[in-house]
Amino acid sequence: MKVDLEHLSRLANLELTEEERKLLPGQMEKIIDWVGQLSSLATGEEEKYHQVDFSLRLEEDEVQPSLPQDEVLAMAPEKQGDFVKVPRVFREK
Amino acid sequence: MKYIELGLREAVDLVRNGQVKATEIVESYLSHIEAVDPEIKAYLTLAAERALSRAREIDARKDKGRLAGAVVAIKDNIVTRGLRTTCGSRILQNFVPPYDATVVERLEAEDAIIIGKTNMDEFAMGSSTENSAFFPTRNPWDLERVPGGSSGGSAAAVAGLEAMAALGSDTGGSVRQPAAFCGIVGLKPTYGRVSRYGLVAFASSLDQIGPLARSVEDCALITSVIAGFDRRDSTCADRPVPDYLDGLDNFQEKVRVGFLGENSLKGINPEVAASYLRVGELVAGLGFEVVRMDFPSWEVALPCYYIIAPSEASSNLARYDGVRYGLRAEAVELADMYVRTRTQGFGSEVKRRILLGTFALSSGYYDAYYARAARARQAITAELQVAFRRVDFILTPTTPEPAFKLGEKQDPIAMYLQDYFTVAASLAGVPGISIPCGLARDGLPLGLQVLSEPFAENRLFKFAFLLENNIKFKNNMYGINTRGRRKNEN
Repeated sequence: MKVDLEHLSRLANLELTEEERKLLPGQMEKIIDWVGQLSSLATGEEEKYHQVDFSLRLEEDEVQPSLPQDEVLAMAPEKQGDFVKVPRVFREK
Repeated sequence: MKYIELGLREAVDLVRNGQVKATEIVESYLSHIEAVDPEIKAYLTLAAERALSRAREIDARKDKGRLAGAVVAIKDNIVTRGLRTTCGSRILQNFVPPYDATVVERLEAEDAIIIGKTNMDEFAMGSSTENSAFFPTRNPWDLERVPGGSSGGSAAAVAGLEAMAALGSDTGGSVRQPAAFCGIVGLKPTYGRVSRYGLVAFASSLDQIGPLARSVEDCALITSVIAGFDRRDSTCADRPVPDYLDGLDNFQEKVRVGFLGENSLKGINPEVAASYLRVGELVAGLGFEVVRMDFPSWEVALPCYYIIAPSEASSNLARYDGVRYGLRAEAVELADMYVRTRTQGFGSEVKRRILLGTFALSSGYYDAYYARAARARQAITAELQVAFRRVDFILTPTTPEPAFKLGEKQDPIAMYLQDYFTVAASLAGVPGISIPCGLARDGLPLGLQVLSEPFAENRLFKFAFLLENNIKFKNNMYGINTRGRRKNEN
């Protein structure tokens, strides 16, 4: 099956390199046809999305220390004062 | 005495009794790593100073934990406070986590010594460790071959005597397959048995952390330490953890064992099939009832897995946006920064899977792919549940073939087929252990997978221990092998 890679990569916030643009369409097509074999299995209507058959328990609300601010900021690629800094969000007119 | 050849349990006993210093053990590992890792390339980051200071601290203390002196390597998708954790990816190349994964906390609380972080396929996506953004790891049995993946660095480190044991993660076979390729033991526990807190998420409904070691006993000991409830992972089961060493050598049950029929072995490597059939004879010879079984749904287990895992991955990996941590690419505007960061940070296989998952979840295709995969997953789970009403354990080969050569599998689907025998247990959440069961003609190790019902690791270890003792796999290779010649004779 053909896929619209341009559209998918926009959804995924990705760009493809020159080489990926050459290789990926054929590979994706093959992979999607291959996973499409699934339709050959007669299954029930029941779906399984998760593994947790045991009962989940609710925790009491408890105040606990979180990561110290300086350690969180230390991971940021760019910061200004006590903030994580990012490039501007809006385009200039 | 060559400390690096001691099993984990043996070494821990010696350290706890005060007969050997943890420092001496760590030093001998460090010098062996220095000698062989330039060829094997199991480690992305070595924690030499950290390991030595931990060892000195343990030696100075009278009370010693259950893993005192155990030299353990950690797959690089399990976070370690203050120790770089890359996930095999450029996008986390310089990431130094501010906290420890629960499994790391638990190992260190019992005085295990973390020696380094091991190489892996980027974001655990792959079966050869060739998808590491940094370099491929080589199989200590034959340096031309891959160690398997995605926990290939962990498996190669244990087989190459660069660690006593290691932690890996298994989403569709990533602990069991490299364990088989490297002639060691690897366990994927029941989903929910071990906390995933601090494991970098790939496919959250499938990921489990598991041990790789040189014996069933060593795997059992590590599992006793890392398993159990953790309030920081809501999918972690609140069930008691038995001491898996307790009665390990005493398996008296008359069990029935499921064994694949000929239909299920079609198309696999003939030496793998032959060694598997020998195991069947051995099991029957031990007096166990062998029940032939086929699993028709396994035909679609791989396509099912390759819809579910990439779908979950495409969502999980959305967090790598260059804002709070990890790589950030230069850009004038925020939206461009996201795209450039992800484009530069992710390798081709990761991009392929993100795109595949995005496709399976996208409008117009969701029902035909993702929902259908969820139904197949239920069918696969139900089939295994029915099987476990008839038998106590199911035996399969771990892999369809022995370790392949680097660069041999260029086609993504050929690589995906590696998981043929391992994905069903992942989709159903049941535990599986791989133990060595023989050698192929060219001297490469072969693996046997044993599956059991969920949360039955206790019995699984005992049965695997019994098989291990009866198979008598002669591991004459630990260390490093260059063209059939042992190199670590010093």
